[in-house]
Amino acid sequence: MPNERWKERGAYTAGATAWSMLIGGAMLLGAVFAGCDPSAARRDSPSDTLPAAGEVESRGTSPAQTPQPATQLTLALNWFPESEHGGYFAAQVRGLYAEAGFEVTIQSGGTSAHMLEQVATGRADFGIANADNILFARAQNAEVVALMAPLQNSPRCLLVHKGSGIESFDQLRDVTLAMTPGAAFATFLRWKLPLPGVRIVNYSGNVQAFLLDPRYVQQAYTFSEPFIARQHGADPRVLLVSELGFNPYTSLLFTTEKIVAAQPDVVRRMVEACVSGWQDYLVDPEPTNRLIQERNHVGIDLEALAFGAREIAPLIVADDAAKEGIGRMTLERWQTLESQLVESGQLTAGAVDPRRAFTTDFLPPATPAVSPGR
Amino acid sequence: MKNRLGRVVIMAFPPVALFVLLVAIWQIAIAVGNVRSFILPAPVRVAQAAWLHRWELLQATGTTAAAALAGLATSLAVGMVVAVAFSQSAIVRRSVYPYAIFLQTVPSVALAPLVILWFGHEFRSVVVVAFIISLFPIITNATAGLLDLDRNLVELFAMSSASRRQVLLKLQLPNSIPYLIAGAKISCGLSVIGAIVGEFTAGYGDGYYGLGYLIIFASNQMETDFLFAATLASMLLGVVIFAAVSLVGDWILRRWHAPGSAGDALGAN
Repeated sequence: MPNERWKERGAYTAGATAWSMLIGGAMLLGAVFAGCDPSAARRDSPSDTLPAAGEVESRGTSPAQTPQPATQLTLALNWFPESEHGGYFAAQVRGLYAEAGFEVTIQSGGTSAHMLEQVATGRADFGIANADNILFARAQNAEVVALMAPLQNSPRCLLVHKGSGIESFDQLRDVTLAMTPGAAFATFLRWKLPLPGVRIVNYSGNVQAFLLDPRYVQQAYTFSEPFIARQHGADPRVLLVSELGFNPYTSLLFTTEKIVAAQPDVVRRMVEACVSGWQDYLVDPEPTNRLIQERNHVGIDLEALAFGAREIAPLIVADDAAKEGIGRMTLERWQTLESQLVESGQLTAGAVDPRRAFTTDFLPPATPAVSPGR
Repeated sequence: MKNRLGRVVIMAFPPVALFVLLVAIWQIAIAVGNVRSFILPAPVRVAQAAWLHRWELLQATGTTAAAALAGLATSLAVGMVVAVAFSQSAIVRRSVYPYAIFLQTVPSVALAPLVILWFGHEFRSVVVVAFIISLFPIITNATAGLLDLDRNLVELFAMSSASRRQVLLKLQLPNSIPYLIAGAKISCGLSVIGAIVGEFTAGYGDGYYGLGYLIIFASNQMETDFLFAATLASMLLGVVIFAAVSLVGDWILRRWHAPGSAGDALGAN
């Protein structure tokens, strides 16, 4: 009878559906809980393995005490190791992390770095990012906090061929412009400039396309790609994005609000080590550049890094930093950035409170930044 | 008519019910587990992001669909030609077919930058990537269809002194249609993937972009809810194209190719 067959089929279908729901639901729950319980997924975190604050304080003063094991920390970079990470590597080369009682693993970021997610979920303890990344992350309820800003001025620029005749941003027309989609400065440029006849394409991560086409313009950092382009025989000019007023702090050290609250001493010592590292990089970058070259697996050479170290100096020793020491940040700069991101449509007004995005509480007492080459 | 509608509703109910249940579980799990939105956004947030960016998503879906369909159409045409060549010459088949297999394993993510370098940051580059990725199933299936012939029919044609051209047009090609349609069903999903991967690299921006570009854009801005919305749009696009290809394929089969009927084997089509 057709009716009975339908019941049989119906029962089978219902059973199969029920199983699918169970399995699908279980998988979804599993994925969700794997995502929301970071301490289960990662290895030792500072909050789990650090000795109590009291023990740590007395460690340095009494040589008779048994030495504590070094605290394991992970620092997640936002790109391949380059000059922009100089101070962080310098702290490693000079043993500054070890002096502070840390064993720091520096994780290379590469083209698809997810340092904000890594730190926010606890898979890394500290990270390097730019101020705009921090604000985007906070807008998505990732509670990250910037601790120090070694690069006071942004090295972000556009690379053009001198032969193209373009000398300023308003002269950009009828060219191909390569920028990372969704990068804050890229959206800002598209909002701010008319760019007639300009075709915007993805940035490939290298200067190959730039070398082949005289009407090609690409994003760059002042201390990096221009040198590489010149090495390959090109004659480039840079257009500094900060001249348009977009000047986020760059190569910031950041961590989570949770770590700041739970382990302020670790944070303080980390920041101190990094500030000293940057001071060292200004004075004697060579040993650090050797380490950076070793850790950079995409073939950067020492000459480029040496150039980078020289070019990066004026970005560090600028404004506040010259007088008050490396790493200083002001609320005004953060507020300016936030309103620029809101104006260019990248943030909703009121989504982020710039005051909570950074703290200067952990910066060491003011020691003026040393000029390079001393 | 009522029966048919009733059947469609009954068949659609379980998957739709499952969808609703999964979305409910998703929403509850986020609330209970206090999952932050940048890890896994709640369905409500994804829906909001989709609504907020609806015009961008619609346009991007249109662009990606155009690239995917163009790639699919090209792979059907080129694949059929290659398959015919394979079916007519054993030497050609034996020497070239192994290289066609490379098409299956080509890592699209590595391929796209090369294609962009050769063809430029243009729509056509995205079509090329989609074409390359969807080509292999067409070649294999069409070749199988042209060669997998009923022995009796082959002998019948030989007894009737049919020329090679007649065998090709009246026996081999009609025989290959079901195989080709099966290949098209496989390739249509691949063509969407290929288009999106191509767009990751090509990323032609400024009002003329596809879902791949939106995905990268949202990812770099850490807008996970928008990222999810764009990803879901891509999945939906794949499903719609698959449904369209299936419908067209089934219609062709019903209309022109009733399997087992003596009529078409004797060239009565």
